[in-house]
Amino acid sequence: MKKNIVKYYPLIPVLAVYLIMFLIGFFMPGMWQMVALLAFYCALGQSWNIFMGMTGYVDFGYVTFIALGTYGMSLGITYFSQFEWLGMGIIVIGLILAMFLAALAALLEAAIALRLRGAYFAIACIGINEGLRYFIEGAKIWGGSEGLIFFGALTQSLGRETVNQLTTFWADFSVFVIAALAAFLNMHYMRSKIGYALTAVREDEDAAKVMGVNTTKYKTLAFLTSGLLGAAVGAMAWGLKLGHVYPGDVFVIHYTIECIVVVLLGGAGTLLGPVVGGLIYGLSKYWLAIIMPGFQLLIFAPIIIIIIVAFPEGVIGVLKQRVKRTALEKYIV
Amino acid sequence: MALLRLENVTKRFGGLIAVNNLSLEIQEGEAIGIVGPNGSGKTTLFNVISGVFFPEEGRVIYEGKDITRMPSYKRAPLGLGRTFQIPRPFGSASVRENVATGAMFGTLAGKVSVDDCLEIADRYIQLVGLEEHESKEALTLTPVEKKMMEIARALAMHPKLLLMDEAMAGMHPKDIDKTVAFLKKIKEEEGISIVAMVEHIMRAVVGFAERVMVIHQGKKLVDAPTKEALEDQRVVDVYFGHAAGEGNAKG
Ligand SMILES: Nc1ncnc2c1ncn2[C@@H]1O[C@H](COP(=O)(O)OP(=O)(O)OP(=O)(O)O)[C@@H](O)[C@H]1O
Ligand SMILES: [Mg+2]
Repeated sequence: MKKNIVKYYPLIPVLAVYLIMFLIGFFMPGMWQMVALLAFYCALGQSWNIFMGMTGYVDFGYVTFIALGTYGMSLGITYFSQFEWLGMGIIVIGLILAMFLAALAALLEAAIALRLRGAYFAIACIGINEGLRYFIEGAKIWGGSEGLIFFGALTQSLGRETVNQLTTFWADFSVFVIAALAAFLNMHYMRSKIGYALTAVREDEDAAKVMGVNTTKYKTLAFLTSGLLGAAVGAMAWGLKLGHVYPGDVFVIHYTIECIVVVLLGGAGTLLGPVVGGLIYGLSKYWLAIIMPGFQLLIFAPIIIIIIVAFPEGVIGVLKQRVKRTALEKYIV
Repeated sequence: MALLRLENVTKRFGGLIAVNNLSLEIQEGEAIGIVGPNGSGKTTLFNVISGVFFPEEGRVIYEGKDITRMPSYKRAPLGLGRTFQIPRPFGSASVRENVATGAMFGTLAGKVSVDDCLEIADRYIQLVGLEEHESKEALTLTPVEKKMMEIARALAMHPKLLLMDEAMAGMHPKDIDKTVAFLKKIKEEEGISIVAMVEHIMRAVVGFAERVMVIHQGKKLVDAPTKEALEDQRVVDVYFGHAAGEGNAKG
């Protein structure tokens, strides 16, 4: 039993960072916005890393899940807020719809794209993302290119005061919860059979098969987990918080790129990496936008490239090597 | 009932016939050597048995069951284990984790916990003499250490039939003797049938195999008890005819 708890020690630094972030945001006036932004990047990085870090497959279409999560919440509120007796239940319905859409997409995408490797996989995922966006716009489902605007409906159903609390606090708070959940799942996968199977897949997929690893099953599991978590972030941080959704806003590859940068900065395949990556990325983006609005990308892009080239293992990847055979080894993974 | 039976198996790559109408029976507990010149189809034969490739013709029967088109990942839990001619370690994982992976997804799959597998791994790591390297990343091992690790990983699968593809190539004669010795021991203790292709390393063939199959251009040339097979005139002609120098030097 003791041994089993020790295995989960690397969760301590991760959860500690999340707790500190939360406390800063909660108690220091004016900090909540920034802390929420950081949590958003940490949560997305952590979620994306479960699939990419463990399997080595780069899902360029990851934003599909965030977008579908946003749509799930939006549809839930749009169509169910008329039933006043549901109360807060509409948010639960939205979340369920978000999970359902993301699971459907993940299983479909897994059936189609996960047979492919390397660049073919990446391109197939982008294709599916773009296809979905144009399908929504072209077939005019879910509001087509006009999107869904449901802030009014939400207010009418739950009242101004509640909605205000939901959008300014609980939506952000739930992102913290999702980030912690993602960390826990990632840790659990790493320490179980699933982690061994996925490491084998990442290092040599054909050899893994010969060793008895049902590669499709484990890849799909990681893909699904990663997708569902991304969808949860979309549902809360975009859907519930903003009160509207447009296809042109959410099916945007730019957000996938942000996930990739967060994970690579911190260290792909590590547990603490996406947290550190999310903090570095989020903070730099936030401050650069204040110091030199408009120019941030000009400075930001080269800095990121330099860091990634200099530390391909990411900050935590490097640190992990440093703390080998020290007392910290148990905590940094 | 034979443990494994190949019936008229043919595997082609485009116009090239790598394995040509080959039949073979392996009984439980046998130790078989497979020899043949470079490119004669030995590795391809293993790939057909382990499900990396499906044959165009013929059948593969394992424990009475037709597994010709069974995906490779389903074969390991049935007891088919193998090593690769060019080692294929899971590079970023430690030696211990590599070997434990074998235990986790082999015949013990579903019956053992991760911790059990790590303990099983320790046993086989000790057997092949890699204790000191246990926590190293597998990619940092030397080629011979990688081969040793592959043997440990395959043994940890607790296979009924172990296919070793030139696992002893490049090893020091002393290590070959040691490896042959523990393979023999483990074969008796755990009832594993072992098929090892040993090619030029006569030291291993003679020391290990009770029976030898010689293949030439994808066809079975001779299949007989070791001494008889190696003295067969046809074998001397096609195989040792041009590889005699090397064979003798290493043997
Ligand atoms: N994947 C493949 N695609 C095309 N041709 C292949 C493939 N694998 C093997 N071959 C060809 O099949 C023939 C048999 O190769 P194989 O590797 O089975 O021989 P081998 O007896 O193991 O040789 P060696 O002693 O060099 O390991 C060779 O001519 C080889 O080039
Ligand atoms: Mg070969």
